[in-house]
Amino acid sequence: MIKIKNLHASIEGKEILKGINLEIKPGEVHAIMGPNGSGKSTLASVLAGRDIYEVNSGEVEFDGKNLLELKTEIRAREGLFLAFQYPVEIPGVTITNFIKSAVEEQRKHRGLEQLTAAKFLKMMKEKKALVEMEAKLNNRAVNAGFSGGEKKKNEVFQMAMLDPKFAILDETDSGLDIDALRIVANGVNKLKNGNNAFLVITHYQRLLDYIVPDFVHILYDGKIVKTGTKELALELEDKGYNWIKK
Amino acid sequence: MSLNKKITKEYYNDILKNNVSLAEGVIKQSAENYIKNNDFPTTKDENWRKTNLTNLLKHQFSCAKKVNFEEQTLSAFNISGLKANILVFVNGYFYQEYSKIIEKNNSLQIESICRIKEKNPEIFEKYFNKTNIENANIFTAFNTAYAQDGAFVYIPKNKIVKNSIHIYNFTDGNTQKTISQVRNLFIAEENSEAKIIQSFHSLSINYTLSNIVTEIFLEQNSKINFNTFQGEGDDAHQINNIQVVQKRNSSFSNNIATLCGSLVRNDLGVKIDGEGCETDLNGLYLPDREQHIDNTIFVQHLKPHSYSNQLYRGIIDNKASSVFFGKVLVGEGAVKTFAEQNNNTVLLTKYAKSHSKPQLEIYNDDVKCSHGSTTGQLDKDALFYMQTRGIGEKRAKILLLNAFAAEVLDKIKIDTYKNYLKFLIDKRMTGEKISGHCYKMGECRVY
Repeated sequence: MIKIKNLHASIEGKEILKGINLEIKPGEVHAIMGPNGSGKSTLASVLAGRDIYEVNSGEVEFDGKNLLELKTEIRAREGLFLAFQYPVEIPGVTITNFIKSAVEEQRKHRGLEQLTAAKFLKMMKEKKALVEMEAKLNNRAVNAGFSGGEKKKNEVFQMAMLDPKFAILDETDSGLDIDALRIVANGVNKLKNGNNAFLVITHYQRLLDYIVPDFVHILYDGKIVKTGTKELALELEDKGYNWIKK
Repeated sequence: MSLNKKITKEYYNDILKNNVSLAEGVIKQSAENYIKNNDFPTTKDENWRKTNLTNLLKHQFSCAKKVNFEEQTLSAFNISGLKANILVFVNGYFYQEYSKIIEKNNSLQIESICRIKEKNPEIFEKYFNKTNIENANIFTAFNTAYAQDGAFVYIPKNKIVKNSIHIYNFTDGNTQKTISQVRNLFIAEENSEAKIIQSFHSLSINYTLSNIVTEIFLEQNSKINFNTFQGEGDDAHQINNIQVVQKRNSSFSNNIATLCGSLVRNDLGVKIDGEGCETDLNGLYLPDREQHIDNTIFVQHLKPHSYSNQLYRGIIDNKASSVFFGKVLVGEGAVKTFAEQNNNTVLLTKYAKSHSKPQLEIYNDDVKCSHGSTTGQLDKDALFYMQTRGIGEKRAKILLLNAFAAEVLDKIKIDTYKNYLKFLIDKRMTGEKISGHCYKMGECRVY
């Protein structure tokens, strides 16, 4: 699905990613853990195509294509999704209008027929139910005035609507209470199938009780310093990050 | 640089040939004296600091002439679905053959102001120039003394005008540099209600100057919803002055949308001279190329318990510039006044300019007033967020700009007109060419 080879990236001349190597296959769930400032969110942003980061060297192959050559919107249309750590508020653009524009552009790119209004609304209703999102939010502006939980549910709802091949969840658990966490994680689990893959970025092992990873990687100072199975997350929780730093 | 140097020798003869003189006696004399003793405003005048007339005043103007006009031209500028009483003015002259009053009522008057002056001098004299606008500046003086014609609307007591009143104003320079002067007068008697649209269009790309003065009087408990659409050509200039007087419990709303025009200056003055009034002033302006759009507003709260609001938004493209100068004065006796002012602009290029100055002047301590102003680029985080969902950069920008404009557009109370504007603005954003409505509009676009 995605192969990251020796990826180096910097912001304003400061190197953040110092040689990331990672391969994720269809059907797999990978988790990345690491202390603040280790480069977790930078990795997510670089993969999504944020232009404030400069890729200094390395390669990323996504579904056979050179990901780093593609514009952000093309990456999305090719099936990459990023659930934001801090979803952006867009005053004046309703959720319906926003997601409709996204679905239309993605279907166009993939050569699929556009959905009828009725089918689209039915799909919205189904996907909202998946994350227990209230229907009245449809006509609200995207994320504007949403609670933390509503914003994160909205991210998973959009993911469900767009049905990506590969989704990155950037600290989707942070700031959620246990009920919201369970709802969000359930949503993700229902979207899992043998053909898609997930990269879950988190600080806490807690999320991994709900979204069970096949592999856990520990990112420290711009590099993956340790890779293991879900037990690694438990060990990390137990020993803390100082254990890694040594 | 006095006014007489800026107009041709024939100007006054042409005016005399064509028209009924609206102003007479003291009013005319006062206006003429003002013209004699005063010059054009310069950037040294506080109210004109950011609007420079130098380029405009390089030229000499003749009086706009009557031109041929056809029914099909009118239909090209039609607002789809709008059922309205229609008045048509071309170059400041009334074209009765294209005007159409669908709401017949003995005392409801929707007419040319020159004809009203002849038919009904009493009502004309009771209200004409009662805002004493003739000596505000040289443009209002010139208009008061020599306006060609204009719209007159009189809504009798208790009458609710169901259909909108649409006043078309076309300019056609016909290869000459011309001035058209329009003088409007709207009166809403007690407990009456009307919705008015005034639209400005160019019929040719010529160097024209429209000098418009509109006086609006709202008697007790009346409501006027006034909409102005400015879509003249790239060489068209407009000096537009609207003066409003509101009596007790009246409600005035004003929406002004400026989509095109080389230089547009809108002066809007509202005198709240009664308790419990509502005043809702909104504006949207989208200058591009080197266009300049100025909205200068002065609201005076003179009586208690009134509410006024200003929401002005601009999207400034290329090397265009805009001015928002909004002043609210709350008088000593105007306790419990609630006044809000907001101006937001988006600059699409690094050359675009916006000057914004919301101002409050308050003379009592029992009021609630606020003002705010923002100027900036489109939110980069929002753009990136949309792109990560597969929405292309251009479409994302258009979505954001339409959303930004919508907050002003959604205040428009005539749905067909609102949809018409949304349609034009969307076309403008996508750079699609459309004929009529707004000259060369297809060239305005989001990069």
